[in-house]
Amino acid sequence: MPIMEHKSMAWRMSVNERKFIETALASDLRVDGRRPFDYRRLNIKFGREDGCSEVQLGETHVMAYVTSELVQPYRDRPNEGILAIFTDFSPMADPSFEAGRPGESAIELGRVIDRGLRESRAVDMESLCVVAGKLVWSIQVDLHIIDNGGNLVDAANVAALAALLTFQRPECTVGGDNGQDIIIHDPKVVEPLPLVIHHLPISVTFAFYNKGDIMVIDPTHKEESVMGGKMTATINSNGDVCAIQKAGGEGVMPSVVMQCIRIASVKAADITSKLKNAVEVYNTERALRKVKRHPSKMAHQVSVADITLEDKQVKDLPRHQAKMACQPYIGSSQDDEPKVDTRTSTNADGNSSGTHADAFVGGPSKWDPYPLRVGTSQVLGTLTVVKEEQVVSDDHRAVECSLDHTTTSSSGTVSVSDAMQKSNTSKSLKDAVKCLLEFFLPVTMDFWMTSVATEYWHFAVVKVIVLCAIRCLCQWLPSKLMKAL
Amino acid sequence: MAPMEVDRADGRTSNQLRPLSCTRNVLHRAHGSARWSQGDTIVLAAVFGPKAGTKKEENPEKASIEVIWKPKTGLIGKVEKEYEMILKRTLQSVCLLTIHPNTTTSVIVQVVGDDGALLPCAINASCAALADAGIPLKYLAVAICCGLTGSRSVILDPTKIEEKKILAFAYLVFPNSPISVLPKGSLTEDSEPIEAGIITSVTHGAMPVVDYFNCLDRGYAACAKISEFLRRSMESQAPSDLTKTT
Repeated sequence: MPIMEHKSMAWRMSVNERKFIETALASDLRVDGRRPFDYRRLNIKFGREDGCSEVQLGETHVMAYVTSELVQPYRDRPNEGILAIFTDFSPMADPSFEAGRPGESAIELGRVIDRGLRESRAVDMESLCVVAGKLVWSIQVDLHIIDNGGNLVDAANVAALAALLTFQRPECTVGGDNGQDIIIHDPKVVEPLPLVIHHLPISVTFAFYNKGDIMVIDPTHKEESVMGGKMTATINSNGDVCAIQKAGGEGVMPSVVMQCIRIASVKAADITSKLKNAVEVYNTERALRKVKRHPSKMAHQVSVADITLEDKQVKDLPRHQAKMACQPYIGSSQDDEPKVDTRTSTNADGNSSGTHADAFVGGPSKWDPYPLRVGTSQVLGTLTVVKEEQVVSDDHRAVECSLDHTTTSSSGTVSVSDAMQKSNTSKSLKDAVKCLLEFFLPVTMDFWMTSVATEYWHFAVVKVIVLCAIRCLCQWLPSKLMKAL
Repeated sequence: MAPMEVDRADGRTSNQLRPLSCTRNVLHRAHGSARWSQGDTIVLAAVFGPKAGTKKEENPEKASIEVIWKPKTGLIGKVEKEYEMILKRTLQSVCLLTIHPNTTTSVIVQVVGDDGALLPCAINASCAALADAGIPLKYLAVAICCGLTGSRSVILDPTKIEEKKILAFAYLVFPNSPISVLPKGSLTEDSEPIEAGIITSVTHGAMPVVDYFNCLDRGYAACAKISEFLRRSMESQAPSDLTKTT
């Protein structure tokens, strides 16, 4: 019976393709149009659970999963936890990868990443100790290579780091009757803890051609099959070299190696910032998911602030309308917007006060501020609508509505920075000061009203200070930028 | 025997499936690939087209299918081997094996998320990947998981938590319902429509015979819906580039 002829059917590059790649590299051209020291596009995604990441570097696709369990420590290190890295070169990544025992390149990849994480003390092992000599946490990182598009080491390294940064292990305490029992707390009851990671070692891979003269960063699969030698440098953003791996291949001059390391430190800083941004976004999203478990708390605070705003604004109405007339480029004066917002949100609710919101959209002259008192329940009901409308509209709305939501100060700053771009470029210093004063006065009055009317005055103080600072920044910065240009 | 409405944790009724999503051609090196998700259960399947030669114990007169199941974490154990065997037998009945004799088609399944109904999800993903690779098939296989609760009512597509609580569940695989131009009723044989043939049925836990037949009926109806979804998703995605790099 014929046996499968896998080895002989292994993919070999044609002579034409090989010559093409080498000739192109001699004139600093790469097949996919990149320059020699450009990375492909890095895309970092996270799964629903903690410690689950998916990284795409061009065509290379790697998934990483982090799990933890309590085990006995190694005898020679009774105070330290255990970090184990399993690499799986899945047969779906490349027809030449075979299922079963990991091959040489799989083991090499696992070792390079292990050196970068464990031996450079990036992940703190001593914080994983529960009972010295008896129980420690063992962190296992499973790397699945899904698609081999070249440069697996770098992609797998970023995936492992992303998964470790977002992983949270359950809290456990020593207690019980005899003081020896380990109680592992349910993650839903007690907040799980993230791992302590001191620095982020990023690996950067170089491929050498033409007897070490030409080097490129982040080789693709085809470039890898033509290369003469390969070197991986693992560097963190502080400039510390965590690991260097150059196993065989063509000899390169030490000066070339030094140049590679210098380039690697620049690239490492770049990748570190991308990684940190992605983790930030995921962490805020995770926090939001947790916050949504208590909607009643948020709504209560909203209702209070809204009602007092209206009280104050009755007095300010004529002043505001006058300001609006003379400051057209701002868009509209600050405190009209939130009332309008309340109106439009109640409009969405289907109340009779909706008609007045429509009236306002036309212009200030048609605006009728207080046809109806807005009840607490109505405002409560419009909580989500108010939140949605902020992000879309003007800076003022966003700023004021962040007064209403204690949790969304971050979204407030985001919309304010949007407004920075929108605001007119022809602002002068005087106008900036004027705007500042305009903002400051109503805000302080608002502060007094809120402090008098409610018991949440301490919240109001913090909010006011933060918002003044933000407003100052966004007023001054564009004017300074214009001067600089 | 009117079935009682069951209260499910995620608010679904007993006949409601989780949101389905199918993306094909997600990998660059594989000949065919598909990512199928049912709620939080996500499976990625890749197919490498016919390679010359068959394994020792396989019949060289026919094409053979090799399945590799990769769990999310941990080493391969008995459970994974069982899944590989069930998947292989199911796919063997779906593919036209006599077209390319003495060849091996590899199907690799990677579990990305497991929240109940893992094997049906994997079967659906594998079929979509086979279609993406252009392997000749008789029909597509559509799989569903039916669970039987303690109150003798059938729930479709249980999550992992639900799977632990219910009495028994069955993974059922039916062929894709065809769009036929012939008048209804002409395709029947002994008053049973031909396309209602069960390809695979795997049960866990003990259930009375009547309830098993209930599950079959419900499963068949649900599979009609899933095969509609599958047909729509295959027709909507533009035909992928025929030349793929190896």
